Amino acid sequence: MSVSASTDAMKSTVTPSSDRRVGDETFITMLVACVAVGLFVVASLAVPNFFQPLTMLNLVTNNWAVISLGVGVTFLLVSGNFDLSVGGIVALSGVLAVWFAQATGGVNALSTGFGFPTWLAIVCALCGALAIGALNALFVVRFKVPSIIVTLGTMLVARGIAQVITQGSQRNTNLPADFGVLGNLTMFGTSVKLPVIGMAILLAVAVFIERKTVFGRLTYWIGANPVAARLSGIDNAWHVTKLYLFSAGVAGMVGILLASEFKSGFSNRGTLMEFDALVIALLGGVAIAGGFGSVIGMFFGALILGVVTTAATGLVLSPDWQFTLKAIAVFLAVTTQTWALARRHR
Amino acid sequence: MTAQPTPVLQVEGLTKDFPGVRAVDDVSFSIERSTIHCLVGENGAGKSTLVKMLTGALRPTSGTMTVSGAPYEPHNPNDARRGGIATLFQELHVVDQLTVQENLTLGMERSRFGFLVSSDLDDRVVGTLAAIEPSIDPSARVSSLSVAQKQIVEIARAASSGASVIIMDEPTAALSEREVERLFAVIRRLRETDVTVIYISHKLDEIFELGDAVTVLRDGRHIATRPLSQVAGPPELIEMMIGRAVLQNYTPRTTVSEETVLTADGLTNDLLKDVSFHIKRGEVVGFYGLVGAGKTEIARALFAADKVAGSIEFNGRPVGRSPKDAIRSGIALVPEERRTQGLFTSLSVRRNISVMNTRKLSSSGVFRSADEKAAAIEYVRKLSIATDSIEKYAEKLSGGNQQKVVLAKCLFADADLLLLDEPTRGVDVGAKTEIYDIIRRLADSGTSVAVFSSELEEVLGICDRIFLLVSGSLAEEVKNGPDADAAHILNVVTGGERRAAP
Repeated sequence: MSVSASTDAMKSTVTPSSDRRVGDETFITMLVACVAVGLFVVASLAVPNFFQPLTMLNLVTNNWAVISLGVGVTFLLVSGNFDLSVGGIVALSGVLAVWFAQATGGVNALSTGFGFPTWLAIVCALCGALAIGALNALFVVRFKVPSIIVTLGTMLVARGIAQVITQGSQRNTNLPADFGVLGNLTMFGTSVKLPVIGMAILLAVAVFIERKTVFGRLTYWIGANPVAARLSGIDNAWHVTKLYLFSAGVAGMVGILLASEFKSGFSNRGTLMEFDALVIALLGGVAIAGGFGSVIGMFFGALILGVVTTAATGLVLSPDWQFTLKAIAVFLAVTTQTWALARRHR
Repeated sequence: MTAQPTPVLQVEGLTKDFPGVRAVDDVSFSIERSTIHCLVGENGAGKSTLVKMLTGALRPTSGTMTVSGAPYEPHNPNDARRGGIATLFQELHVVDQLTVQENLTLGMERSRFGFLVSSDLDDRVVGTLAAIEPSIDPSARVSSLSVAQKQIVEIARAASSGASVIIMDEPTAALSEREVERLFAVIRRLRETDVTVIYISHKLDEIFELGDAVTVLRDGRHIATRPLSQVAGPPELIEMMIGRAVLQNYTPRTTVSEETVLTADGLTNDLLKDVSFHIKRGEVVGFYGLVGAGKTEIARALFAADKVAGSIEFNGRPVGRSPKDAIRSGIALVPEERRTQGLFTSLSVRRNISVMNTRKLSSSGVFRSADEKAAAIEYVRKLSIATDSIEKYAEKLSGGNQQKVVLAKCLFADADLLLLDEPTRGVDVGAKTEIYDIIRRLADSGTSVAVFSSELEEVLGICDRIFLLVSGSLAEEVKNGPDADAAHILNVVTGGERRAAP
């Protein structure tokens, strides 16, 4: 089955790439990429009609939201911090954007908003998302509360506010016509939508920041050794604050685009997305302890998860098996990475 | 019963080899029952290796140990406890959330079907505690006790577990003078209850006040075991500890300018007491003192890493409020703990070297990778860091080379004042000499250097002026030179001088 095949694929890549010239990060990224390709081949052989260009494209386009969230989450993990609030922010910013854009004087409370022009509604919704990010930073940096607790809390805060605004349901009436443009704009005469292009640009920029800029490097220094980073003149607090704002900003944009795509603000949107974002980062070799990992790895992690879930649902298993499969994939990936790195360092 | 009583602990020809070093070399001595036996020696004399063999943390390469006449071969700390040897470490192992009594019986509780049952154990431990320190309430929560009281709880636990020997490694390092007196009273009462104490300390005045006998180690070898009544005083003990003349290859330097770069005035915090000094351009100053004398505190205060009262002016301006400000104004610190405070072990040598001066290597926030590589290669060559590539992970280097990477990182910051906290701790002899050469070259080129060290040879070897620290105060300033008196310096920092004063 695909599960046992993935172990074999991982094993076979360890020995040849244990070249001393290759850094640990490149090594892990290559490992993850190989697993993604290997799984794809296995799935193509096992699942009828799986091997099609459209399938490959869909793996990326269907997951644009989670991959985008994964960028912010990856940076924060590398700096040694969690962000579990992104799913909540997706819901909150979407609901806020709709609420601000809805015309005034609707037939009931749920169809009545502020009547802002779409652009202003988007800006205000983004501010709401950034406020959650600022809250994360405040508690993690200032009050030194463990980030996993803080962001678990703000996840609930964000979704809670969204629920109050939508009265536990959704807002989808009385919206201006241009509200649905951004999320449904197709590009270059293909079926590829704007958010997917946005994700691609975000990935490219993130890779550049991670590899080439001082900002990216600061993230690694802080994650690798926060004490040494401070004694080397780095302002850890300010940098982590920026990372939380960045992650919240991305999540806010994702929420707005999803609200635009479906022309609705739904308080349950993005549920469990924070866990998916965390899972693909871990699958992609980002170290939960910080100081190690890459955005490209996270991207391949998303592909692995995508292949596993789509292939499995295309096979004999029902979609009910999704969570179980995700769990197995995560356990396998994390143990294999730990084991492969330990072998290399022997 | 006229025969010589059996010694409680006897070691014969004890030897421990580490790769490349013989840490303990053919040591034989014995300790009499119900005495307070002191163990002294300079840093690196082999005290801690010897203690680790006694407690089962290390296995001797050769030699034997006997406890009360029976062979004793501990394989781990549990064996040691069973053999009757307990250790009081510098870090305390008490559980804050439990009461004193619960702490005393921890790990020795009786249970039936998983439920605790009371036994005579409770009476016994309470009795022991009452015998050595009646003022501690057994039902008090440990979190409400002071450090000194917690220490006594730990001693009581060791004593009530039936230990016949308790090893205490620098137990007074964190205690105030009054607390020290109380601890001494406890140790004396322990002796009355037939417990032998092995007392390790650098503070010679304590040893003369408390000890019955002393064993001196030097360079891993046993120098003497004598009743303290037969030792004339601290000077004689110091002579046994140093043995030879301290290696002094210091030559007075001519490149020290008269210009003062740093002035510290009245530095005071939890430990420091009104410390004032100044450092000149191109000067190498040393801060020398025992563990806990305040060396690291001064270094961190100058680097603005900790808050401190008093004023610090560097080049006529205040240093600022964070390490970031300090680095901007031209100060860099090589911290005490290399692995936890200085080095990014999971990153490459290249990525370690660039951290303190990213501005020099980047334009508008983007690294110029060619420059970064060039800088890394330059510093690897300059400090002759032994690595086959600048992409090697810092954790794979040897201790000496890791230290050089931390040094390179600070040099790359182009600092005018380098603070080096224990710059050669855990570094091999070759790298040590190289680090000293680097320090001299830097000073000759006009950089000021402050060395914070607990190794006398180090400060006597490279520093122009030496500040002697005793429990947070600046006791004396010594000008280095051929006539600098090592014995006098040791006497001052170990508190011998204080004792001699009327």
